[in-house]
This record gives sequence, structure tokens and C-alpha cells, in this order.
Amino acid sequence: MAEAFVVVKEIHKSFKDFKAVNGVSFTINKGEIFGLLGPNGAGKTTTIRMMATVLPADSGDIIIGGHSVKNDAEAVRSIIGVCPQDLALYEDLSALDNMVFFGRMVGLSGEESRAQAKKNLELMGLEDRAKGKVSKFSGGMKRRINLAIALMGEPELLFLDEPTVGIDPQSRNHIFENIQNLEKKGLTVLYTTHYMEEADRLCSRVAIMDGGQIIALDTPRNLKSQLGSPDKVTLEDVFLKLTGRSLRD
Amino acid sequence: MKRALFITLNEVKLYLQDKGDLAFGLLLPILTFALMYGAFGGQTLFKATASIVDEDKGAYSQQLIKSIDSVDGISVDVMSAKEADTKLDRSDLLMVLFIPAGFSDNLTAGGQAELVFKQRGNGGTEGQILASIIRGEAENINQEFQARHLVAANLAGTGISDAAIVPMVQDYLTQERQQPAVSVSQVTTGGKPDFVNQYLPGIVTMYVLFALSLSSTTIVEERRRGTLERLLTTRLSIGELFLGKFLSNIARGFVQTLILLILAYAVFQMFTPLSFLAAMVITLLFTAAAGAIGLIVAAISHTERAASWVGVVVTMFMTMMGGTFFTIAKGSVLDTLSKISLNTYANRAYRTIISSGGSLGQAWQPLLVLAGVVIVGLIISRMVFKPVAGK
Repeated sequence: MAEAFVVVKEIHKSFKDFKAVNGVSFTINKGEIFGLLGPNGAGKTTTIRMMATVLPADSGDIIIGGHSVKNDAEAVRSIIGVCPQDLALYEDLSALDNMVFFGRMVGLSGEESRAQAKKNLELMGLEDRAKGKVSKFSGGMKRRINLAIALMGEPELLFLDEPTVGIDPQSRNHIFENIQNLEKKGLTVLYTTHYMEEADRLCSRVAIMDGGQIIALDTPRNLKSQLGSPDKVTLEDVFLKLTGRSLRD
Repeated sequence: MKRALFITLNEVKLYLQDKGDLAFGLLLPILTFALMYGAFGGQTLFKATASIVDEDKGAYSQQLIKSIDSVDGISVDVMSAKEADTKLDRSDLLMVLFIPAGFSDNLTAGGQAELVFKQRGNGGTEGQILASIIRGEAENINQEFQARHLVAANLAGTGISDAAIVPMVQDYLTQERQQPAVSVSQVTTGGKPDFVNQYLPGIVTMYVLFALSLSSTTIVEERRRGTLERLLTTRLSIGELFLGKFLSNIARGFVQTLILLILAYAVFQMFTPLSFLAAMVITLLFTAAAGAIGLIVAAISHTERAASWVGVVVTMFMTMMGGTFFTIAKGSVLDTLSKISLNTYANRAYRTIISSGGSLGQAWQPLLVLAGVVIVGLIISRMVFKPVAGK
């Protein structure tokens, strides 16, 4: 049986009268790429924020690598890396300066920080642009830097929140390859996206959220087989069947 | 603590990268100083224009106008009564000297003559000084006439004519004015710019608060960039984040104010090395207090625009209430309100050092208040901060 690296136990979060997350539970196995899907306002971002120690849960707990987010957030932060959906970069600084700075923030020494920054820039194919100002980079390059920063400190769990939004197919493919390579090295990944084919291609299991709850959780193949032949049905068909076709805010 | 210093260093790095912000931050104190030098750096002699309506147009009114015009720094603007009234109505002038018709005739006849000051309110500070100078000149004429009449009265019946008395009295009075029994001389001590001593503390305090309004956006900027949430998922604690921001705000405000103080030291020679060090300590503490207030604004603001506006309003309030632009009368409502302005305490500390030549020990009370604001400000900013805006 696979070893659970992340255990989310019955978490709740409300903002005034609005229940953003309502009793969510799931596990992520070590070395697994786990997809968290859902329409806008489903509660994905709030769930990720609670898992990444940014927001406290009203009740329930999350265990990551054996550490409780509620009781030992510091230990959790030392083993996670977050690649947010919106670019979180200092545009006036160089790519290298950005990476070294965040390296220091995750607890690396100056030397370690520079070494890892160099390695991750190479991984993202940006070693030649290390000293270039981020503001001069293309959208795809910024996305790759955004991901490279999340890898600083060699996290055991990586949160990838829509890491391929608005970029060209080449950059997208480069990011996919990197994520698959990281999986091979045993990194656990929580992946959120609105591109269903991405989730189908990358994730070993996906959870679909709506209204603050998980409404389905299985492998992409099993989810598709509920609607017909997995080779003919797409994950998007399943998603629309489960969450409906009405527009969301 | 180490991570807080990295936050500070990163802020400084970002500040140095933004050439516009850097130029503004460093050139502004130099520009402010140039304005101060232009205003206070040259001749500090009182200069004013006496507005006079001469309805008499006689020999003695002309003599009075001439004598006022001959006073150093005073020029005369003779105008019609209608023009004077219009300007007084519009507050273009605050005080006008009216020389009524018959002024010279009354003096010649040995009677009493009168001068009238028409003024708005108390006539303003300049008007009051002018009135005092004009009274002095009128007094000279007065003495001349009194002396002439007394001598004429004492010599009555001796057969000596007025034609002989008048020039002799005039000669004695001229001699007396040239060699007065009581003479007044001026001895210049210390630096010349008294006005700088008076106004520099206010300008410095106002300056530090401008830094506050700029620094109040730091947390919101991180939020807008998305880096705030990313930072909160690292090992950086919120306390370290705030400390780092706080230190960078101090560094920025302190450097800008230091430029102003160094220029004042070099050009106006208004410090001794010891008082300069004391002024730096006050600046550091005041910048820290302003930085702590800025951090509260930064912690509660959801958008950069909101942070900027709240920062500007706090700055303006503290500047107005802190006695930077005008003197606040003791015991007034403003005096009570001024107690919640940081400027009040910083001004008091600076004035103790700059204007009164006192020591830091004598400024302990305002310094203690500023230190208290630093501690309380940091605690409150940490308490009101929410990692995700509005949640």
C-alpha cells in the first residue's frame, strides 16, 4: 500500500457566512502527482492556502510529511514549495537575485542558495538569462522562473497552482517535462489546473471540488469510465457532468 | 532575525533598482534644502513695505514719510485712501498708516497731531513691527517739536526770536541723534540663520513623515506582486517580515533626513559635532516611530491606493497638528490634538537640541514617547495584519 505523504482531515473554512471549504478530506501518496480540480469559487485556492500554512483552518487538520499544519507550521514550511497561479516575482530584480532571495527565505545558506539557483535555472533552460531583469522576460520565461523558485530548498511537496496559464506550447511542454522528471525523483505534487487534458496527462489521481466539497476522487481513467469508454470520454466531459454547465463567478 | 535582515536588504535592493524612486528620494532633501537656503540663507534683516496714505501732503507729513523710508530695510508705498481701503478689504494689506489732513498745520500751530493705523485684525506680525518702527519715527518728530516749544517758552521775553531758536534746537537734536545718551549696538553671536534654527525642526519632522506615507505601501506592494503569500509559505515568520520591512523603512527615511541634516550642518553651521549626533539619534527614533505607524497603515490596507491615501492623511494630520506650519497656542483645542501627533514630540526634541542648545537628556520626555510609539506601533501592526486581504 502506498505511503500517504499528505493527509487532509475534515477541514472547514468560512469567511463570515460563506463556507469556502466544507469538510474536505483526502490523502496524497508520496511521489504522486495529485490533481485538485474545480470551477472558480469551488474552494481549491482556500484549500491550498490552508495546506500551505497561509490561512488557518477553522477546524480539522492537515498532516504533511508527518507534521501537523495546525501545530507545527514551521516544520511544514520547511518541506513545501509553492508555485502560485499569479506570478510571485520581484520584476526589478534579476532571475538569479529572485532565486537566491527566496532560497535564503527557505533557510538555505548563501552558497547553497546560489548553487541551487544555478541548478534550477539550468533545469528551466534559463541559465543564460540568470542575470537578466525579470521584467524583461517573456510570459513563458516568467512562468518557468516562478516554478524554479518553488523548487528552492528542494521541497518534498510541491504546490503547483495553474502553472501553465497563458504561455506558449513550448514553455508548457517544458514545464510538463520538468514536473514528470520531478515525479520520477520522488517529489509529491499537488496540481491545480483548468486545463483538463493537463490533469489527465500528469495526474495519477484527481479530486474534483465544487461548493467547498470534494464531489469526486479517483484516477482520471476511472472517472472517465463512469461516463463511457475511457478512450472516448474526456476528463472535461466528466468535469462538466459533475459540476454542471452554468457559468461561475 | 537573519531572515528579517534579508527582507531589509531585498527592500534596499529594490529601492536602488527603481531609479525614479531613488532620484526622488535623494534629490528631494537637496531640493528642500535649496529652498531653505533661498529663503533663509541670505540677508536676515527685517524687510517690509510701509503702506501710507498721505491726506495731509504738508511739510511734516513729507518729513515723516522721508524718515520712514530712510530706515534700513523699510520701503514706502504711498497710495490713495480709496486704494488702501480696497486692499484692506481684500486682505491684500493688513495695515496702512493714514496721515490725516491738517497733520502739518496742527504741528506748526503747536497743537496735537494724530497718526492713524488702519488694520485687519492685529495687523499681522509684519504690520506690528512696521507700526513699532513708524511710532519711533513719529516720536522723533514729536521730541523735536516738544523741545522747540519748551525752549521757546523758556526764552519768552528775552528778545531772542523764533528764527534764532529753531535752527539752534535743530542742531542740538541732530547732535543728540548722532551721539545719543543711550546708544544701542548689535553684537552677532553664533551662526546667522536664526530662522533656520526655528524652522528646520519642523521641516525635518515633516520630511520624515513623507517617508511614512511612502513606506505605508510596502506590505500592499508585496501583496500585489503575489510575493507576500509566497513569503508566508517559506520559513520566514510574520514577525520577521514586519521587522525586515520596519528596518528598511527606517533606513530609507533616515538616509533622506540625514542628507538634509548634513547640508544644514555644512552650509548653516548650525550644529556642533555633539548636537549633530544628538539630532541623528532623534532622527533615528522619530523615523522608527513613523515607520511603525507606517507599518500599521500597511498592515490594514488592502490596496496600494488605500495605503497611499491613508499614509498621506496621517502625514498631513501629524504635520498640521505638530506645529510645523504654525505655532499652536498653549491650552487651545489644537494644543490638545497636537498631543497625538508624532511631530509634536519630534519637534520638541529637535528644538531642545537645535534651537535651545540642550542635550539629549533634556529631551528625554519626547524621546520616551517616540520610543513608546515604536513598540506599540509594531505590536499593533502585527495584530491587525491579515495574510490574505480581507480574510
